[in-house]
Amino acid sequence: MATEVWLFILVGAIAVVAAVMLLLSQNAVHAALFLIINMGCIAFLFLLLNAAFLAMVQLAVYAGAIMVLFLFVIMLLGAERPGGRSPYGWLAPGAVVLALIFLVTVALALSQGGISDLQAPPAHPQLRVANLAADAGPLELRLNGSSVGDNLPQGSVRDYEALPPGDYELELRALDDRTLLSGSLVLEAGQRYTALIHGTGAPALSLLPDLAEAGSLRVFNGWGEAVFLVDFASELSDEDTIVLLGDVAPGALSDPLAVADDADFSNQALVNELDEVLARPGAGMIFNAGDGESALLVLSPLRRFEGTLEATVDLLVTPSQASFGGPADIGLKLFNQYLLPMQIVALLLLVAMVGAIVLTHRPKVAPELERARLGRRRVSRPLTSAIASQLGQGGSGQDSDPAALPPAGTQER
Amino acid sequence: MLQTDAYVMLSMVLFVLGAMGVMLRRNAILVFMSVELMLNAANLALVAFARQWGNSDGHLFVFFVITVAAAEVAVGLALIVAIFRTRRNINIDELNQLQG
Repeated sequence: MATEVWLFILVGAIAVVAAVMLLLSQNAVHAALFLIINMGCIAFLFLLLNAAFLAMVQLAVYAGAIMVLFLFVIMLLGAERPGGRSPYGWLAPGAVVLALIFLVTVALALSQGGISDLQAPPAHPQLRVANLAADAGPLELRLNGSSVGDNLPQGSVRDYEALPPGDYELELRALDDRTLLSGSLVLEAGQRYTALIHGTGAPALSLLPDLAEAGSLRVFNGWGEAVFLVDFASELSDEDTIVLLGDVAPGALSDPLAVADDADFSNQALVNELDEVLARPGAGMIFNAGDGESALLVLSPLRRFEGTLEATVDLLVTPSQASFGGPADIGLKLFNQYLLPMQIVALLLLVAMVGAIVLTHRPKVAPELERARLGRRRVSRPLTSAIASQLGQGGSGQDSDPAALPPAGTQER
Repeated sequence: MLQTDAYVMLSMVLFVLGAMGVMLRRNAILVFMSVELMLNAANLALVAFARQWGNSDGHLFVFFVITVAAAEVAVGLALIVAIFRTRRNINIDELNQLQG
């Protein structure tokens, strides 16, 4: 059997034994310690289930903070002794029978239902739109009649958007509702795409599947002649030019180039066949291969005011997909989809904090009342014991009573 | 990959043990700890189903359950302290003043 199965059986058995001991232990402190063992086991099972973040939260919040609170209250109240016999003796066998019936029902349902055979649907494809066309101005991209990039200015890139997989009729419109381009495209499940709008005059649209590999760099050539990505220092010197990516034809996408973790583009340049520098990526254009990002370098023409064309470079970074169950994944969902529930839960925590203070707060008694109450006690106790001893009943037991009481004021009745 | 069935069954066993603790124990603090055990068992099932569907929404729910449990423990233990202060006893069978 696989290691996972052995680990599951071992840790699951420890969790069940700890839960049974919690049920049976007579001392409340022991019960709390067994519950801590149980929570540690559940944190381990979370790790087996790819929920690393929750495993840490379970250990820190549950096994740490909450159980410390339990132990603190048990020891503060001195409540570790058993609660005594229950007046409902018939409850224990009844509960055991009900529990067994419930477990058998669940086991039957699980064996018949076949939960494990169900398959998750594949993730939706994601599409982002980049408008790098020279002459088109703001654009709108419609897929099957619904807009995915509305009022998209020249030079802008939209965020990824999830769409159902399938065939789409695309329509590219100018702001005055002229149709500039129409066609069709196919989006496959689990893929990420960049819809790149480029070209001079009438815009063209290229659908580029984004690579998932971290640190891969590709060049898309939207310029009219073949280009090369070269090392700029070697370009200036007399030695042979170091070509990083060669001969990317117009309208074509280069092969991926593996980029080191801390690479930037400050010493690289895009040149044409005649070794004329077309454009240089700026030093600010960086992407972090170590964080799982890959990138697309797009060379596109830009229309100047005088009407001349100039090559510009844009870097479209593909962020890494947040790993399942990791802190980034949880955090993204928490602050996007679940922001309102999180606010409500935060409010609940605040109310609980105030409630705990209000519940345990002791109202302050006015000082003169308190003094009167204490004075009455101090006089009355010896008096009653004196009366009791004169009456000749319960001498020693009641004499020690006032001494056994804690100092005045600490005990409230 | 281990089947989701196994995790759900384990979570049900823990849940039932917690429910029995709630029914059978007399000490209010132990009843409270049994409720925590039941919440933990439900969390385990949620995380198992989240892995089954490859969707981390289940993790978010567990996160919220843990937060609400923290709030519940704060208020519940404050109640127990307040009751113990007035009655010197937290046996739940004797705390029946609210009975009709």
